Amino acid sequence: MSQHSPPPESAFGALAIKWSGPALTALGFLTAAAIALTPAAGRSTLMWWILSSALAPERMLPLVGLGVALALVDRRYSLGALALFGGGLAVGFFRKDWLLSVLEAIPRATSHHFLTGPISTVIVGVALVLPATRLRSWFLLIAATVAGSMQAIAIEVSDPSLHDVAIPLAGVVVGFWIVVAISLTVRSFWRTWFPIPARILGSWLIAIGLLYGGAALIPKQKSAFPPPPESAPNIIPFPGPDRLPPELQPQDRPGARVPPDGPQQP
Amino acid sequence: MLPHSAAAHITSTGSGGFGSGFAHPLTGPDHFLAMFAVGLWGAQMGGRPVWTLPVTFPLIMVAGGAAGMFGLPLPSVEVGIALSILALGLAITSAWHPAEWIALCLIAVFAVCHGYAHGAELPFAADPADYIIGFVLATGLIHVFGIGVGLTLNKPLGGRLARGLGALIGLGGVYFLVTALSAA
Repeated sequence: MSQHSPPPESAFGALAIKWSGPALTALGFLTAAAIALTPAAGRSTLMWWILSSALAPERMLPLVGLGVALALVDRRYSLGALALFGGGLAVGFFRKDWLLSVLEAIPRATSHHFLTGPISTVIVGVALVLPATRLRSWFLLIAATVAGSMQAIAIEVSDPSLHDVAIPLAGVVVGFWIVVAISLTVRSFWRTWFPIPARILGSWLIAIGLLYGGAALIPKQKSAFPPPPESAPNIIPFPGPDRLPPELQPQDRPGARVPPDGPQQP
Repeated sequence: MLPHSAAAHITSTGSGGFGSGFAHPLTGPDHFLAMFAVGLWGAQMGGRPVWTLPVTFPLIMVAGGAAGMFGLPLPSVEVGIALSILALGLAITSAWHPAEWIALCLIAVFAVCHGYAHGAELPFAADPADYIIGFVLATGLIHVFGIGVGLTLNKPLGGRLARGLGALIGLGGVYFLVTALSAA
């Protein structure tokens, strides 16, 4: 055996690390597909919540971006950011009232999940767009904390059960699964040109966050009236008694015109 | 005397959720041509513009989108969109390689027009979040498609294929300009 060839254990370990991301991704997709294929009548509240809230595009997008951003920085910063994402989740769950009081100062935030989606989408987008310097690494730590706390708030305000521990637990698991699976997959198949699409993705996230935040701040301008018909119907004014045809003229009215052949008998 | 029941729903404007937003740039030929041309032009220029153009476009599009959402007046948006297609087509046809900041400024002006058109519809959308996610993703994918086509067509025949495609885009711009001017 050559001196440079790795021992079998480390080769297996490297293989396991390389394919852990795609394996996690595949496992998540299979779980989501199994839940989605369950007949609606047989779905529990938890299954319904995972499909409609935890896996909603608005909730997943910042987590996908965070996963990509974690793959762009040094492994130490990546692990630190992942830990801070967990810390942010804890802050969101245990200091919920304080966070909500801060967020409710934003107009119309209360009716849009306290704008948790736009805030985390924009901050993760900025982390992706920043140039590949130490600035991005440090900013990512902040972005991960904010994204974690926003994720926790979104879980809390969308929890239909209000008391079932399984829902926040599932939200945390889904959140970590998305971030870790994406990050490991991108790292496994790393190419030197990856930072370019990552920055393009970051610009999309910023645009989505700002537009969604802006749309949430503006009330719907459409009133709930049906639009007018495309062609106006031919409206014929109801004729007065003098313009009625002879057969419809009231017989007892003074001056009523009687047909020449007299009133018709039934 | 019956109500116009088929059109009595609030979502009858066509702005729904993710699918509606995703389909909007793909099914609107004016938006599609402009986004495609941005990617194609960036790839034709090469270097940093390959990614700076598609990164700048959605970021500036937000400004136009905000103007549309808040109902700020921006006259002749359709003419601006048509002009953007025409200008991008001419730039590709002539293989114009301006300084990066000039290209970015041009793209910014075009992005405001496109963003305004999208932004004006957003407050009416049944699900603005999913609608936005859909149309921004579709816009970005058209950029990436344009970059891919541009990088592929840059080499054969000395880039004449890309320039020919630019001429077709420019003709599309002329058509949209005539349509917009006649409707104005």
